[in-house]
Amino acid sequence: MRMSFVAAAAIALSSVAGTATAQRASASRPSGLKIDTQYFKLKNGLKVVLSRDTSVPTVTVGVYYGIGFRIEPRNRTGFAHLFEHLMFQGSKNAPKGEFDKIIYDNGGINNGSTRFDFTNYYEVVPSNALESVLWVEGDRMARLDVTEDALKNQQGVVMNEVKVNVINQPYGGWPWLDMPQLANVNWYNSHNFYGDLTELEAATLADAKQFYESYYRPNNAVLVVAGDIDYSATKAMIERYFAAIPSGPPLKLPSLAEPRQVKEKFQVKPDRLAPKPAYSVAWHMPDRGTPQWYAMGLIDQIVAQGQDSRLYQKLVRDTGITSGMQAGINVGLGNMYNYRGPMLWTVGFIHDPSKSREQITAAVDSVIEDIRTRPVSAEELERARTKIRSSLYNLADPSTRFGLIDLLAVGAMWENDPRWANRLESGFSKVTPQLIQSTAREYLRPTNRSILLVEPAPAAAPAPATGAKQ
Amino acid sequence: MIRIILSALAGVLAATTPATAQDYPPLPKPGAPKPYQVPASETYTLANGMQVTLIPFGQVPKATVNLRIYAGGLNEAGRNGLSGLTAQMLREGAAGKKGSDLAEEAAAMGGSINLGNGLHETTLGIAALSERTPDAIRLLGDVALHPDFPASELERIRQNTLRSLSVARSQPQTAANAALAAAYYGADSPYGRILPTDEQVKSYTLEDIKAFYRANFGAKRARLYVAGQFDPVAVKATIEQVFGGWAAGPERLRVVPTVQPGPRVILVDRPGASQSTLRLAWPSPVAGSPGDVPFEVMDALLGGSFTSRITKNIREDKGYTYSPFSSVDFNPGEGSWTFNADVTSDVTGAALKEVFGEIRRLQTVPVPDSEATGIRTWMSGTYILQNASQGGLIGSLAQIDLLGLPSDWITTYVPKVIAVPNLQIHEAAQQLPLDKMTLVVVGDLAKVEPQLKALPELQGVQFQRVTPF
Repeated sequence: MRMSFVAAAAIALSSVAGTATAQRASASRPSGLKIDTQYFKLKNGLKVVLSRDTSVPTVTVGVYYGIGFRIEPRNRTGFAHLFEHLMFQGSKNAPKGEFDKIIYDNGGINNGSTRFDFTNYYEVVPSNALESVLWVEGDRMARLDVTEDALKNQQGVVMNEVKVNVINQPYGGWPWLDMPQLANVNWYNSHNFYGDLTELEAATLADAKQFYESYYRPNNAVLVVAGDIDYSATKAMIERYFAAIPSGPPLKLPSLAEPRQVKEKFQVKPDRLAPKPAYSVAWHMPDRGTPQWYAMGLIDQIVAQGQDSRLYQKLVRDTGITSGMQAGINVGLGNMYNYRGPMLWTVGFIHDPSKSREQITAAVDSVIEDIRTRPVSAEELERARTKIRSSLYNLADPSTRFGLIDLLAVGAMWENDPRWANRLESGFSKVTPQLIQSTAREYLRPTNRSILLVEPAPAAAPAPATGAKQ
Repeated sequence: MIRIILSALAGVLAATTPATAQDYPPLPKPGAPKPYQVPASETYTLANGMQVTLIPFGQVPKATVNLRIYAGGLNEAGRNGLSGLTAQMLREGAAGKKGSDLAEEAAAMGGSINLGNGLHETTLGIAALSERTPDAIRLLGDVALHPDFPASELERIRQNTLRSLSVARSQPQTAANAALAAAYYGADSPYGRILPTDEQVKSYTLEDIKAFYRANFGAKRARLYVAGQFDPVAVKATIEQVFGGWAAGPERLRVVPTVQPGPRVILVDRPGASQSTLRLAWPSPVAGSPGDVPFEVMDALLGGSFTSRITKNIREDKGYTYSPFSSVDFNPGEGSWTFNADVTSDVTGAALKEVFGEIRRLQTVPVPDSEATGIRTWMSGTYILQNASQGGLIGSLAQIDLLGLPSDWITTYVPKVIAVPNLQIHEAAQQLPLDKMTLVVVGDLAKVEPQLKALPELQGVQFQRVTPF
């Protein structure tokens, strides 16, 4: 549903996002996408990306703030997400309820989500309503106005969100919420991002004010407007509603660094609602943007994505351990492009108790050891590149454009270049079988992995705390 | 300073208001909406009766190929789960190729073979790179027309099915859906059992699967949709070549469900559950009937949209729940309205009181014009959004075929929505009589049942505890 922790429906258009223009030059291939963009910065530091596409008379607006759940206050786990909800609770000129009413009554839809390194707000409306959307986004960036009642109300809503997605759900929070807590050691990467219920309940308006003033400033935000727009008219509207918003102090990010893992980690999570055991394993990723990171993107395709992948062949067809996997980089919370700090590559699946932990680890190991020790064939590498190219195109969904604005926004936010995505293709094309092997050898070390099992627990046992460590 | 602001309850965040706030211009008035033409499509029928729809539409060099066959749960004749097992086996080997070969072929086209199976249909699809569209059609032809049903794969597929069923049964939402279907349609109806039993799944042989395939797959039951960027000449030629020789096969089976009237309360115990999973259902107008569109507008206003009355009340005012919603669901010749929510256990009764109150208010008080106009505009805008993606448009066209709606339904829907008078929205709510409800509650009954018993609307209504699986 909307205002979700993870905008699964919106951004999970594909497990591997990418640029629309990542097109290999080849006479036999179609010309690919040509995304038209304009990029500029307002005096207050707000980055603005415009992209015109008139195929459908709608406009998609995204406002991305450079604050994710990693860096929320230490005694306020879940606060970044709770605050995302508060952003819908009213601003000076649009009291509670007005934001949604403006979007919906004009024929649009909207949502928000909280991720590792950003919180985003996005809406798509018929193009005649663009100015109304910019007006109300501008008002809440400048003058959020949340009451005690609204805070209490959203604490109730968010606690119900945690209940429906985690507490009253078999495999709730597995592996997306649990695995970072096991694999990481830096608090910023390893706390409960959905939040401890008591800390959620303890949040105050003063906390909200401080958070808003620290992170929700134009110099920490990107505004993307894509769709049926006129460039100069849109620029004028953006000036009108955003230019007067004062900048905040420059942002100081804490260190997000994770030390190199040198010993395998292991944990069992009892789950009294789960009828079958589950197995998950994660490895720390190379830093975003490095040659090894591109190689891991292709390793993900070769090893874990799709029914042609090596793990599918091993775990599904050959051994019958499972019927399919959840796997990927930033799994459950995004894709390989829309994060900045330390990240995991995760594989998880449910299996029958008749398959032992040792048997499963051996099956996974046989696939992982093979990619660490033997070069991939040219054909398999090419197929992995085709899969990535195809998934890139999915982002340009003409209906909502939510995938497209996500890519443009993170490029502007972290690379100061919305066309950053255009360079991805050359990064993937440079990956050789040798680089795949050397990357796998370092990053898919057994000592770099964490294994997290879910075990069905007797119904009489108390409900486990999510992500409780042994 | 901070204390003063806090005590004023004016919203502490307003403290950050810059001096320019006073000058913020008023909310601009939107201009006139631009017209939107739903992409044109071409539909034709092969000599053997298979229907083909081509929709050249899309901004990216990809095409979605979707083959839909009227072979699903309705055709199982009580052997629940057999159509699903048959569907699972299709991509495990076809035209002499192993399942892994089929998967690699699909991946090299930039896609994968997607399977779907429900009450009415089995669906097969690939979203491929444009230049590989004819190859994708050939691959789907292999899988749909020439499945090998390899005996070597059946036990694995069966175990996967049993494991998935066990996980599904552990989810409170699945339990609620199963209990509702059984009560509402009757446990003996194909509409009334949403999951097979383990015993059923264990009993099916390879011969059962082959027999189901032979009896239910054929050209007269099939529709092929191709949407996206593709070469129509090559695509048409490939379709004729691949599917032209498919045997006509049986006619589509039509079974209109009968509904067991309420009132009734169905309870499923989930000791220790922190939330109650709610379903509340009534019959609604049949798709395409005169009452249909006004009822759909009523649904959006009452519970179907985020700005709906029920959502505003039990989420945005009371904070009882995260994701309440209502929907109108159609089968051929039948419609139903369902309200869904997961609410904190302690406020199960309080949440239902509010839901009943909102239904009663809509039944008794006419809808203000601004609210009615807003909801009609929202439905119009989101209908365009829904049909502006390849998958969404295919879904709409397939639904029109399934329900036997007129072929111009997509282009006439928005004008129909806009034309619904305010009074009809309020009148449509009369079709939710509180003394005829079917209510399902999955939750911690020790905590929840007393709350339900205290609700005036449930006085004298039979409470029935069930085990949904």
